[in-house]
Amino acid sequence: MMELLLEPFAYNYMIKAIWVCALVGGTSAFLSSYLMLKGWSLMGDALAHSIVPGVALAYLLALPYAIGALFAGLLASLSMVIVKQKTKLREDATIGLIFTAFFSLGLLIVSINPTSVNIQAIILGNILAISDDDVLQVVLISIICLIILCLKWKDLVAVFFDENHARSVGLQVSALKILFFTLLSAACVAALQTVGACLVIAMMITPGATAYLLTDKFSRLIMIAVALGTSTSAIGAYLSYFMDANPGGFIVSLQTVIFLIAFVFAPKYGLIKRKVIVHG
Amino acid sequence: MNSIIELHDVSVTYPNGQSALKAVSSVLQNGTIYGLVGANGAGKSTLFKAIMGFVQPTTGYVRIAGKQIKQALKENLVSYVPQTEEVDWNFPVLVEDVVMMGRYGHMGFLRRPSKDDRKAVSESLDRVGMSDFKKRQIGELSGGQKKRVFVARALAQGSRIILLDEPFTGVDIRTEDSLINLFRSLASEGHLILVSTHNLGSVPSFCDEVMLINKELVAHGPVETAFTEENLIKAFGGMLRHHRLVGTDLHKDEDSRSVTVLTDDERPLVLYGEEGVEKITQPGDKT
Repeated sequence: MMELLLEPFAYNYMIKAIWVCALVGGTSAFLSSYLMLKGWSLMGDALAHSIVPGVALAYLLALPYAIGALFAGLLASLSMVIVKQKTKLREDATIGLIFTAFFSLGLLIVSINPTSVNIQAIILGNILAISDDDVLQVVLISIICLIILCLKWKDLVAVFFDENHARSVGLQVSALKILFFTLLSAACVAALQTVGACLVIAMMITPGATAYLLTDKFSRLIMIAVALGTSTSAIGAYLSYFMDANPGGFIVSLQTVIFLIAFVFAPKYGLIKRKVIVHG
Repeated sequence: MNSIIELHDVSVTYPNGQSALKAVSSVLQNGTIYGLVGANGAGKSTLFKAIMGFVQPTTGYVRIAGKQIKQALKENLVSYVPQTEEVDWNFPVLVEDVVMMGRYGHMGFLRRPSKDDRKAVSESLDRVGMSDFKKRQIGELSGGQKKRVFVARALAQGSRIILLDEPFTGVDIRTEDSLINLFRSLASEGHLILVSTHNLGSVPSFCDEVMLINKELVAHGPVETAFTEENLIKAFGGMLRHHRLVGTDLHKDEDSRSVTVLTDDERPLVLYGEEGVEKITQPGDKT
Protein backbone atom coordinates (compact mmCIF):
# COMPACT_ATOMS: atom_id res chain seq x y z
CA MET A 1 0.00 0.00 0.00
CA MET A 2 2.70 2.43 1.09
CA GLU A 3 4.63 1.60 -2.02
CA LEU A 4 1.67 2.45 -4.16
CA LEU A 5 1.16 5.78 -2.40
CA LEU A 6 4.80 6.70 -2.88
CA GLU A 7 4.87 5.60 -6.48
CA PRO A 8 4.30 9.06 -8.02
CA PHE A 9 7.39 10.35 -6.26
CA ALA A 10 9.53 7.92 -8.21
CA TYR A 11 8.92 9.98 -11.34
CA ASN A 12 10.66 13.27 -11.82
CA TYR A 13 7.84 14.68 -13.90
CA MET A 14 5.36 13.96 -11.10
CA ILE A 15 7.48 15.63 -8.45
CA LYS A 16 7.88 18.61 -10.73
CA ALA A 17 4.16 18.70 -11.45
CA ILE A 18 3.30 18.62 -7.76
CA TRP A 19 5.47 21.48 -6.60
CA VAL A 20 4.90 23.67 -9.65
CA CYS A 21 1.14 23.24 -9.27
CA ALA A 22 1.40 24.08 -5.58
CA LEU A 23 3.31 27.27 -6.36
CA VAL A 24 0.89 28.36 -9.07
CA GLY A 25 -2.11 27.41 -6.91
CA GLY A 26 -0.80 29.51 -4.02
CA THR A 27 -0.21 32.55 -6.24
CA SER A 28 -3.62 32.33 -7.87
CA ALA A 29 -5.26 31.91 -4.48
CA PHE A 30 -3.53 35.02 -3.13
CA LEU A 31 -4.92 37.02 -6.04
CA SER A 32 -8.36 35.43 -5.68
CA SER A 33 -8.67 37.03 -2.23
CA TYR A 34 -8.71 40.43 -3.91
CA LEU A 35 -10.55 39.60 -7.11
CA MET A 36 -13.74 38.31 -5.55
CA LEU A 37 -14.13 41.46 -3.45
CA LYS A 38 -14.43 43.79 -6.40
CA GLY A 39 -16.81 41.85 -8.59
CA TRP A 40 -13.74 41.08 -10.66
CA SER A 41 -13.88 37.33 -10.25
CA LEU A 42 -14.18 36.82 -13.98
CA MET A 43 -11.13 38.94 -14.59
CA GLY A 44 -8.96 35.80 -14.42
CA ASP A 45 -11.08 34.21 -17.12
CA ALA A 46 -10.97 37.34 -19.21
CA LEU A 47 -7.21 37.71 -18.93
CA ALA A 48 -6.59 34.05 -19.74
CA HIS A 49 -8.42 34.52 -23.03
CA SER A 50 -7.02 37.97 -23.71
CA ILE A 51 -3.52 36.56 -23.63
CA VAL A 52 -4.00 34.57 -26.85
CA PRO A 53 -3.17 37.35 -29.36
CA GLY A 54 -0.02 38.14 -27.37
CA VAL A 55 1.08 34.53 -27.48
CA ALA A 56 0.38 34.26 -31.20
CA LEU A 57 2.30 37.44 -31.98
CA ALA A 58 5.17 36.39 -29.76
CA TYR A 59 5.51 33.14 -31.70
CA LEU A 60 5.31 35.04 -34.95
CA LEU A 61 8.14 37.33 -33.88
CA ALA A 62 10.08 34.48 -32.24
CA LEU A 63 9.96 36.08 -28.80
CA PRO A 64 9.49 34.20 -25.51
CA TYR A 65 5.76 33.76 -25.44
CA ALA A 66 5.50 34.86 -21.77
CA ILE A 67 6.47 38.38 -22.83
CA GLY A 68 3.74 38.51 -25.46
CA ALA A 69 1.22 37.05 -23.04
CA LEU A 70 2.08 39.50 -20.31
CA PHE A 71 1.89 42.41 -22.69
CA ALA A 72 -1.51 41.36 -24.05
CA GLY A 73 -2.79 40.74 -20.52
CA LEU A 74 -1.75 44.17 -19.38
CA LEU A 75 -3.22 45.83 -22.43
CA ALA A 76 -6.50 44.00 -21.84
CA SER A 77 -6.71 44.95 -18.17
CA LEU A 78 -5.88 48.57 -18.91
CA SER A 79 -8.56 48.64 -21.62
CA MET A 80 -11.07 47.28 -19.13
CA VAL A 81 -10.18 49.98 -16.61
CA ILE A 82 -10.46 52.71 -19.23
CA VAL A 83 -13.78 51.49 -20.65
CA LYS A 84 -15.10 51.17 -17.09
CA GLN A 85 -14.06 54.71 -16.22
CA LYS A 86 -15.18 56.43 -19.38
CA THR A 87 -18.54 54.75 -19.87
CA LYS A 88 -21.43 53.73 -17.68
CA LEU A 89 -21.21 50.10 -18.77
CA ARG A 90 -21.37 47.57 -16.00
CA GLU A 91 -18.36 45.56 -14.95
CA ASP A 92 -19.53 42.31 -16.58
CA ALA A 93 -20.25 43.98 -19.91
CA THR A 94 -16.87 45.67 -19.86
CA ILE A 95 -15.01 42.47 -19.08
CA GLY A 96 -16.95 40.48 -21.66
CA LEU A 97 -16.46 43.10 -24.34
CA ILE A 98 -12.71 43.36 -23.94
CA PHE A 99 -11.86 39.71 -23.55
CA THR A 100 -13.89 38.54 -26.53
CA ALA A 101 -12.30 41.30 -28.61
CA PHE A 102 -8.83 40.15 -27.63
CA PHE A 103 -9.63 36.47 -27.97
CA SER A 104 -11.06 36.87 -31.45
CA LEU A 105 -8.08 38.93 -32.49
CA GLY A 106 -5.94 36.03 -31.29
CA LEU A 107 -7.95 33.52 -33.29
CA LEU A 108 -7.67 35.77 -36.32
CA ILE A 109 -3.89 35.92 -36.07
CA VAL A 110 -3.68 32.17 -35.66
CA SER A 111 -5.97 31.49 -38.61
CA ILE A 112 -3.95 33.77 -40.88
CA ASN A 113 -0.71 32.13 -39.77
CA PRO A 114 -1.72 28.56 -39.21
CA THR A 115 1.86 27.38 -38.94
CA SER A 116 2.79 29.78 -36.22
CA VAL A 117 1.64 28.10 -33.01
CA ASN A 118 -0.20 25.34 -31.40
CA ILE A 119 -2.49 27.61 -29.42
CA GLN A 120 -4.35 24.58 -28.22
CA ALA A 121 -1.40 23.60 -26.07
CA ILE A 122 -1.37 27.01 -24.42
CA ILE A 123 -5.09 27.20 -23.80
CA LEU A 124 -5.44 23.74 -22.36
CA GLY A 125 -2.10 23.64 -20.56
CA ASN A 126 -0.60 20.45 -19.32
CA ILE A 127 1.69 20.40 -16.37
CA LEU A 128 2.68 16.80 -17.04
CA ALA A 129 4.11 17.66 -20.43
CA ILE A 130 5.66 21.00 -19.59
CA SER A 131 9.24 21.64 -20.75
CA ASP A 132 12.00 22.64 -18.36
CA ASP A 133 12.31 26.08 -19.93
CA ASP A 134 8.61 26.68 -19.41
CA VAL A 135 8.86 25.44 -15.82
CA LEU A 136 11.53 28.04 -15.22
CA GLN A 137 9.25 30.78 -16.59
CA VAL A 138 6.33 29.63 -14.49
CA VAL A 139 8.40 29.39 -11.33
CA LEU A 140 10.06 32.76 -11.79
CA ILE A 141 6.73 34.48 -12.45
CA SER A 142 5.06 32.88 -9.45
CA ILE A 143 7.87 33.62 -7.03
CA ILE A 144 8.16 37.24 -8.11
CA CYS A 145 4.37 37.65 -7.78
CA LEU A 146 4.35 36.11 -4.33
CA ILE A 147 7.21 38.27 -3.10
CA ILE A 148 5.58 41.47 -4.32
CA LEU A 149 2.20 40.45 -2.89
CA CYS A 150 3.75 39.67 0.49
CA LEU A 151 5.40 43.10 0.56
CA LYS A 152 2.45 45.15 -0.66
CA TRP A 153 -0.69 43.25 0.35
CA LYS A 154 -1.69 45.85 2.92
CA ASP A 155 -1.47 48.72 0.48
CA LEU A 156 -3.57 46.76 -1.99
CA VAL A 157 -6.21 46.11 0.66
CA ALA A 158 -6.36 49.82 1.44
CA VAL A 159 -6.79 50.65 -2.25
CA PHE A 160 -9.43 47.98 -2.80
CA PHE A 161 -11.36 48.95 0.32
CA ASP A 162 -11.44 52.73 -0.02
CA GLU A 163 -9.57 54.29 -2.89
CA ASN A 164 -10.16 57.85 -1.80
CA HIS A 165 -8.91 57.19 1.67
CA ALA A 166 -5.87 55.36 0.33
CA ARG A 167 -5.08 58.49 -1.66
CA SER A 168 -5.58 60.70 1.37
CA VAL A 169 -2.94 58.81 3.35
CA GLY A 170 -0.53 59.34 0.47
CA LEU A 171 -0.64 55.93 -1.25
CA GLN A 172 0.05 55.83 -4.99
CA VAL A 173 -3.35 54.47 -5.95
CA SER A 174 -2.90 54.33 -9.73
CA ALA A 175 0.55 52.78 -9.46
CA LEU A 176 -0.77 50.13 -7.06
CA LYS A 177 -3.66 49.30 -9.37
CA ILE A 178 -1.31 48.90 -12.32
CA LEU A 179 0.91 46.74 -10.12
CA PHE A 180 -2.05 44.54 -9.25
CA PHE A 181 -3.10 44.07 -12.86
CA THR A 182 0.48 43.30 -13.85
CA LEU A 183 0.69 40.62 -11.18
CA LEU A 184 -2.68 39.28 -12.26
CA SER A 185 -1.68 39.08 -15.90
CA ALA A 186 1.62 37.44 -15.00
CA ALA A 187 -0.06 34.92 -12.72
CA CYS A 188 -2.56 34.12 -15.48
CA VAL A 189 0.26 33.33 -17.85
CA ALA A 190 1.80 30.99 -15.30
CA ALA A 191 -1.47 29.31 -14.42
CA LEU A 192 -2.40 28.87 -18.07
CA GLN A 193 0.52 26.56 -18.65
CA THR A 194 -0.17 24.41 -15.68
CA VAL A 195 -3.95 24.06 -15.63
CA GLY A 196 -5.10 25.72 -18.84
CA ALA A 197 -7.38 28.64 -19.54
CA CYS A 198 -10.66 27.24 -18.28
CA LEU A 199 -9.37 26.23 -14.91
CA VAL A 200 -7.41 29.42 -14.31
CA ILE A 201 -10.77 30.97 -13.61
CA ALA A 202 -11.54 28.52 -10.85
CA MET A 203 -8.13 28.83 -9.26
CA MET A 204 -8.56 32.58 -9.15
CA ILE A 205 -11.98 32.47 -7.53
CA THR A 206 -12.62 29.40 -5.43
CA PRO A 207 -9.91 29.62 -2.74
CA GLY A 208 -10.75 33.27 -2.00
CA ALA A 209 -14.48 32.59 -2.01
CA THR A 210 -14.05 29.68 0.40
CA ALA A 211 -11.87 31.73 2.74
CA TYR A 212 -14.43 34.55 2.65
CA LEU A 213 -16.93 32.21 4.30
CA LEU A 214 -14.48 31.36 7.05
CA THR A 215 -13.15 34.68 8.33
CA ASP A 216 -13.82 38.41 8.62
CA LYS A 217 -10.19 39.42 8.83
CA PHE A 218 -8.39 40.05 5.59
CA SER A 219 -4.95 38.87 6.68
CA ARG A 220 -6.46 35.56 7.76
CA LEU A 221 -8.50 35.37 4.58
CA ILE A 222 -5.31 35.53 2.52
CA MET A 223 -3.64 32.88 4.66
CA ILE A 224 -6.58 30.49 4.37
CA ALA A 225 -6.91 31.07 0.63
CA VAL A 226 -3.21 30.50 -0.01
CA ALA A 227 -3.14 27.41 2.20
CA LEU A 228 -6.15 26.00 0.35
CA GLY A 229 -4.80 26.89 -3.09
CA THR A 230 -1.39 25.41 -2.40
CA SER A 231 -2.54 22.20 -0.76
CA THR A 232 -5.36 21.39 -3.18
CA SER A 233 -3.04 21.98 -6.11
CA ALA A 234 -0.33 19.72 -4.74
CA ILE A 235 -2.79 17.01 -3.73
CA GLY A 236 -4.71 17.29 -7.00
CA ALA A 237 -1.54 16.86 -9.04
CA TYR A 238 -0.51 13.91 -6.86
CA LEU A 239 -3.88 12.17 -7.11
CA SER A 240 -4.08 12.68 -10.86
CA TYR A 241 -1.28 10.11 -11.17
CA PHE A 242 -3.47 7.28 -9.95
CA MET A 243 -6.44 8.11 -12.09
CA ASP A 244 -4.37 9.05 -15.09
CA ALA A 245 -6.45 12.21 -15.12
CA ASN A 246 -5.86 15.85 -16.01
CA PRO A 247 -4.34 17.48 -12.87
CA GLY A 248 -6.19 20.74 -13.48
CA GLY A 249 -9.57 19.04 -13.32
CA PHE A 250 -8.59 17.30 -10.13
CA ILE A 251 -7.31 20.44 -8.46
CA VAL A 252 -10.42 22.46 -9.15
CA SER A 253 -12.74 19.61 -8.16
CA LEU A 254 -10.95 19.41 -4.82
CA GLN A 255 -11.28 23.16 -4.33
CA THR A 256 -14.97 22.95 -5.11
CA VAL A 257 -15.51 20.18 -2.58
CA ILE A 258 -13.81 22.27 0.10
CA PHE A 259 -15.95 25.25 -0.86
CA LEU A 260 -19.10 23.15 -0.48
CA ILE A 261 -17.98 21.95 2.94
CA ALA A 262 -17.37 25.56 4.02
CA PHE A 263 -20.69 26.60 2.49
CA VAL A 264 -22.53 24.16 4.72
CA PHE A 265 -20.41 24.00 7.87
CA ALA A 266 -18.62 27.38 8.16
CA PRO A 267 -18.76 28.48 11.82
CA LYS A 268 -20.30 31.88 11.15
CA TYR A 269 -21.54 32.04 7.57
CA GLY A 270 -22.30 28.37 6.93
CA LEU A 271 -25.75 27.17 5.90
CA ILE A 272 -26.30 25.28 9.15
CA LYS A 273 -25.29 28.16 11.39
CA ARG A 274 -27.52 30.53 9.46
CA LYS A 275 -30.48 28.18 9.78
CA VAL A 276 -29.91 28.04 13.52
CA ILE A 277 -29.89 31.82 13.73
CA VAL A 278 -33.04 32.16 11.66
CA HIS A 279 -34.97 29.57 13.60
CA GLY A 280 -33.58 29.92 16.97
CA MET B 1 1.26 75.13 12.29
CA ASN B 2 -1.56 76.66 10.30
CA SER B 3 -3.99 74.22 8.80
CA ILE B 4 -5.64 76.53 6.34
CA ILE B 5 -7.53 75.57 3.22
CA GLU B 6 -7.30 78.18 0.49
CA LEU B 7 -9.65 77.97 -2.46
CA HIS B 8 -8.62 80.20 -5.35
CA ASP B 9 -11.26 80.62 -8.00
CA VAL B 10 -11.93 76.86 -8.11
CA SER B 11 -14.16 75.68 -10.97
CA VAL B 12 -14.85 72.09 -11.89
CA THR B 13 -16.43 71.03 -15.17
CA TYR B 14 -16.90 67.31 -15.67
CA PRO B 15 -15.89 65.70 -18.98
CA ASN B 16 -19.55 65.49 -20.07
CA GLY B 17 -19.66 69.28 -19.98
CA GLN B 18 -21.62 69.49 -16.76
CA SER B 19 -20.44 72.32 -14.59
CA ALA B 20 -20.24 71.30 -10.93
CA LEU B 21 -18.46 74.23 -9.31
CA LYS B 22 -18.11 77.80 -10.47
CA ALA B 23 -15.29 80.06 -9.29
CA VAL B 24 -15.34 79.25 -5.60
CA SER B 25 -12.88 81.31 -3.59
CA SER B 26 -12.56 81.21 0.14
CA VAL B 27 -10.20 80.70 3.03
CA LEU B 28 -10.89 78.27 5.85
CA GLN B 29 -9.06 78.62 9.15
CA ASN B 30 -8.14 76.15 11.81
CA GLY B 31 -9.98 75.89 15.09
CA THR B 32 -13.28 76.31 13.29
CA ILE B 33 -16.21 74.09 12.35
CA TYR B 34 -17.50 74.85 8.87
CA GLY B 35 -20.86 73.70 7.60
CA LEU B 36 -20.98 73.19 3.86
CA VAL B 37 -24.64 73.53 2.96
CA GLY B 38 -26.36 73.06 -0.36
CA ALA B 39 -28.97 70.98 -2.13
CA ASN B 40 -28.19 67.63 -3.70
CA GLY B 41 -26.13 68.27 -6.79
CA ALA B 42 -25.05 71.71 -5.61
CA GLY B 43 -21.41 70.66 -5.69
CA LYS B 44 -20.72 69.75 -2.06
CA SER B 45 -19.09 66.45 -2.90
CA THR B 46 -17.27 67.99 -5.84
CA LEU B 47 -15.83 70.67 -3.59
CA PHE B 48 -14.60 67.93 -1.24
CA LYS B 49 -13.07 66.05 -4.11
CA ALA B 50 -11.36 69.20 -5.33
CA ILE B 51 -9.93 69.84 -1.87
CA MET B 52 -8.67 66.25 -1.67
CA GLY B 53 -7.26 66.42 -5.19
CA PHE B 54 -9.51 63.62 -6.47
CA VAL B 55 -10.76 65.89 -9.23
CA GLN B 56 -8.59 68.44 -10.94
CA PRO B 57 -10.11 71.94 -10.99
CA THR B 58 -10.74 73.13 -14.54
CA THR B 59 -9.61 76.55 -13.41
CA GLY B 60 -8.19 77.84 -10.17
CA TYR B 61 -6.34 75.88 -7.50
CA VAL B 62 -6.43 74.70 -3.91
CA ARG B 63 -3.69 75.13 -1.33
CA ILE B 64 -3.58 73.36 2.00
CA ALA B 65 -1.40 74.98 4.64
CA GLY B 66 0.24 76.77 1.71
CA LYS B 67 1.15 73.48 0.03
CA GLN B 68 0.15 71.64 -3.10
CA ILE B 69 -2.52 69.03 -2.42
CA LYS B 70 -0.28 66.06 -3.21
CA GLN B 71 2.33 67.23 -0.75
CA ALA B 72 -0.35 67.93 1.86
CA LEU B 73 -1.74 64.40 1.49
CA LYS B 74 1.75 62.93 1.80
CA GLU B 75 2.14 64.79 5.08
CA ASN B 76 -1.24 63.47 6.25
CA LEU B 77 -2.61 66.98 6.70
CA VAL B 78 -6.12 66.10 5.54
CA SER B 79 -8.40 63.21 6.32
CA TYR B 80 -11.69 62.38 4.76
CA VAL B 81 -14.76 60.63 6.13
CA PRO B 82 -16.77 59.22 3.20
CA GLN B 83 -20.52 58.87 2.88
CA THR B 84 -21.83 55.57 4.15
CA GLU B 85 -22.89 54.36 0.71
CA GLU B 86 -19.40 54.79 -0.69
CA VAL B 87 -18.11 51.91 1.42
CA ASP B 88 -18.39 48.18 0.70
CA TRP B 89 -19.71 46.93 4.03
CA ASN B 90 -19.25 43.26 3.11
CA PHE B 91 -15.52 43.74 2.87
CA PRO B 92 -13.81 41.29 5.22
CA VAL B 93 -12.15 43.79 7.54
CA LEU B 94 -12.57 44.31 11.25
CA VAL B 95 -13.22 47.67 12.86
CA GLU B 96 -9.66 47.88 14.19
CA ASP B 97 -8.24 47.10 10.73
CA VAL B 98 -10.17 49.99 9.23
CA VAL B 99 -8.93 52.41 11.85
CA MET B 100 -5.38 51.09 11.40
CA MET B 101 -5.59 52.01 7.71
CA GLY B 102 -5.66 55.62 8.88
CA ARG B 103 -2.10 55.09 10.11
CA TYR B 104 -0.67 53.78 6.81
CA GLY B 105 0.78 57.17 5.91
CA HIS B 106 2.82 57.07 9.12
CA MET B 107 4.19 53.57 8.58
CA GLY B 108 7.17 52.26 6.66
CA PHE B 109 7.28 50.35 3.39
CA LEU B 110 5.73 47.17 4.80
CA ARG B 111 3.03 48.99 6.84
CA ARG B 112 4.00 47.20 10.00
CA PRO B 113 2.25 48.98 12.88
CA SER B 114 4.51 50.37 15.61
CA LYS B 115 3.57 50.89 19.25
CA ASP B 116 2.58 54.47 18.42
CA ASP B 117 0.29 53.27 15.64
CA ARG B 118 -1.45 50.80 17.94
CA LYS B 119 -1.80 53.47 20.58
CA ALA B 120 -3.29 55.95 18.12
CA VAL B 121 -5.81 53.33 16.98
CA SER B 122 -6.96 52.42 20.47
CA GLU B 123 -7.17 56.08 21.53
CA SER B 124 -9.21 56.97 18.46
CA LEU B 125 -11.58 54.08 19.07
CA ASP B 126 -11.93 55.19 22.69
CA ARG B 127 -12.66 58.72 21.66
CA VAL B 128 -15.62 57.71 19.50
CA GLY B 129 -16.75 55.10 22.00
CA MET B 130 -16.20 52.12 19.71
CA SER B 131 -13.49 50.21 21.60
CA ASP B 132 -15.87 47.41 22.48
CA PHE B 133 -16.54 46.78 18.81
CA LYS B 134 -12.98 46.62 17.53
CA LYS B 135 -13.16 42.92 16.64
CA ARG B 136 -16.43 43.24 14.71
CA GLN B 137 -16.70 42.97 10.97
CA ILE B 138 -17.72 46.44 9.76
CA GLY B 139 -20.99 45.31 8.17
CA GLU B 140 -22.29 44.18 11.55
CA LEU B 141 -22.49 47.74 12.87
CA SER B 142 -25.45 50.11 12.99
CA GLY B 143 -25.50 53.27 10.89
CA GLY B 144 -24.22 55.46 13.70
CA GLN B 145 -21.50 53.00 14.67
CA LYS B 146 -20.29 52.78 11.08
CA LYS B 147 -19.92 56.54 10.98
CA ARG B 148 -18.02 56.59 14.24
CA VAL B 149 -15.54 53.98 12.97
CA PHE B 150 -14.70 56.14 9.98
CA VAL B 151 -14.37 59.20 12.19
CA ALA B 152 -11.97 57.14 14.34
CA ARG B 153 -9.97 56.33 11.22
CA ALA B 154 -9.69 60.07 10.50
CA LEU B 155 -8.60 60.72 14.10
CA ALA B 156 -6.00 57.95 13.92
CA GLN B 157 -4.60 59.58 10.82
CA GLY B 158 -3.80 62.57 13.02
CA SER B 159 -4.70 65.21 10.43
CA ARG B 160 -5.38 68.79 11.43
CA ILE B 161 -8.03 69.06 8.74
CA ILE B 162 -10.98 66.69 8.70
CA LEU B 163 -13.59 66.64 5.93
CA LEU B 164 -16.85 64.82 6.60
CA ASP B 165 -19.32 64.10 3.81
CA GLU B 166 -22.87 64.02 5.19
CA PRO B 167 -21.89 62.54 8.57
CA PHE B 168 -25.41 62.79 9.98
CA THR B 169 -27.25 60.85 7.30
CA GLY B 170 -28.71 57.62 8.63
CA VAL B 171 -27.50 58.37 12.14
CA ASP B 172 -29.58 58.42 15.31
CA ILE B 173 -29.91 61.59 17.38
CA ARG B 174 -27.63 60.31 20.13
CA THR B 175 -24.79 59.61 17.72
CA GLU B 176 -25.39 62.97 16.08
CA ASP B 177 -25.04 64.71 19.42
CA SER B 178 -21.93 62.79 20.35
CA LEU B 179 -20.36 63.49 16.95
CA ILE B 180 -21.15 67.18 17.37
CA ASN B 181 -19.50 67.18 20.79
CA LEU B 182 -16.49 65.46 19.30
CA PHE B 183 -16.24 68.06 16.49
CA ARG B 184 -16.46 70.84 19.06
CA SER B 185 -13.63 69.48 21.13
CA LEU B 186 -11.53 68.83 18.02
CA ALA B 187 -12.09 72.42 16.88
CA SER B 188 -11.06 73.71 20.28
CA GLU B 189 -7.85 71.69 19.92
CA GLY B 190 -7.18 73.60 16.70
CA HIS B 191 -8.56 71.26 14.06
CA LEU B 192 -10.33 72.54 10.99
CA ILE B 193 -13.58 70.62 10.56
CA LEU B 194 -15.53 70.88 7.32
CA VAL B 195 -18.89 69.12 7.39
CA SER B 196 -21.20 68.87 4.43
CA THR B 197 -24.85 68.56 5.28
CA HIS B 198 -28.28 69.28 3.93
CA ASN B 199 -29.68 69.03 7.43
CA LEU B 200 -30.45 72.72 7.89
CA GLY B 201 -31.75 72.62 11.43
CA SER B 202 -28.59 71.22 12.94
CA VAL B 203 -26.25 73.73 11.31
CA PRO B 204 -26.68 76.52 13.89
CA SER B 205 -26.22 74.07 16.72
CA PHE B 206 -22.67 73.08 15.81
CA CYS B 207 -21.16 75.19 13.06
CA ASP B 208 -19.10 78.30 13.66
CA GLU B 209 -19.25 79.31 10.05
CA VAL B 210 -21.36 78.28 7.13
CA MET B 211 -20.62 78.06 3.42
CA LEU B 212 -23.73 77.98 1.27
CA ILE B 213 -23.16 76.69 -2.22
CA ASN B 214 -25.21 76.28 -5.31
CA LYS B 215 -22.41 75.54 -7.78
CA GLU B 216 -21.08 78.95 -6.86
CA LEU B 217 -20.43 80.18 -3.34
CA VAL B 218 -23.66 81.91 -2.32
CA ALA B 219 -22.44 83.05 1.07
CA HIS B 220 -19.68 82.33 3.53
CA GLY B 221 -19.48 83.74 7.02
CA PRO B 222 -20.47 83.27 10.64
CA VAL B 223 -23.75 81.45 11.09
CA GLU B 224 -25.51 84.55 12.47
CA THR B 225 -24.83 86.67 9.39
CA ALA B 226 -24.57 84.18 6.54
CA PHE B 227 -27.20 81.60 7.44
CA THR B 228 -30.17 83.77 6.57
CA GLU B 229 -33.45 83.06 4.90
CA GLU B 230 -32.43 85.12 1.91
CA ASN B 231 -29.18 83.22 1.39
CA LEU B 232 -30.83 79.86 1.92
CA ILE B 233 -33.41 80.57 -0.70
CA LYS B 234 -30.62 81.67 -3.05
CA ALA B 235 -28.74 78.46 -2.37
CA PHE B 236 -31.64 76.04 -2.54
CA GLY B 237 -33.88 77.77 -5.04
CA GLY B 238 -37.27 76.10 -5.05
CA MET B 239 -36.05 72.97 -3.36
CA LEU B 240 -36.95 74.03 0.18
CA ARG B 241 -40.22 73.71 1.97
CA HIS B 242 -40.96 77.15 3.23
CA HIS B 243 -43.62 77.96 5.81
CA ARG B 244 -44.13 81.40 7.29
CA LEU B 245 -46.57 82.10 10.09
CA VAL B 246 -46.96 85.83 10.61
CA GLY B 247 -48.02 87.45 13.86
CA THR B 248 -51.70 87.39 13.06
CA ASP B 249 -51.57 83.65 12.39
CA LEU B 250 -49.99 83.04 15.76
CA HIS B 251 -51.90 85.20 18.20
CA LYS B 252 -54.48 87.96 18.42
CA ASP B 253 -52.38 90.66 20.12
CA GLU B 254 -50.25 93.34 18.54
CA ASP B 255 -47.14 91.17 18.48
CA SER B 256 -46.01 91.26 14.86
CA ARG B 257 -43.20 88.71 15.11
CA SER B 258 -43.42 85.85 12.64
CA VAL B 259 -42.19 82.27 12.49
CA THR B 260 -40.45 80.93 9.38
CA VAL B 261 -39.77 77.25 8.96
CA LEU B 262 -37.31 76.17 6.27
CA THR B 263 -36.82 72.49 5.67
CA ASP B 264 -35.73 70.03 3.05
CA ASP B 265 -37.37 67.19 4.93
CA GLU B 266 -34.78 66.79 7.66
CA ARG B 267 -34.54 68.82 10.81
CA PRO B 268 -36.07 72.21 9.91
CA LEU B 269 -34.54 75.62 10.40
CA VAL B 270 -36.80 77.90 12.41
CA LEU B 271 -36.52 81.68 12.29
CA TYR B 272 -38.52 83.86 14.64
CA GLY B 273 -38.87 87.61 15.17
CA GLU B 274 -39.87 90.83 13.48
CA GLU B 275 -39.99 90.48 9.73
CA GLY B 276 -36.54 91.10 8.29
CA VAL B 277 -34.81 90.68 11.62
CA GLU B 278 -35.87 87.15 12.42
CA LYS B 279 -33.42 85.14 14.50
CA ILE B 280 -32.54 81.49 14.30
CA THR B 281 -34.26 79.64 17.09
CA GLN B 282 -33.18 76.40 18.59
CA PRO B 283 -34.99 73.87 20.70
CA GLY B 284 -35.12 75.18 24.25
CA ASP B 285 -34.47 78.82 23.33
CA LYS B 286 -36.48 81.43 25.22
CA THR B 287 -37.80 84.20 23.06
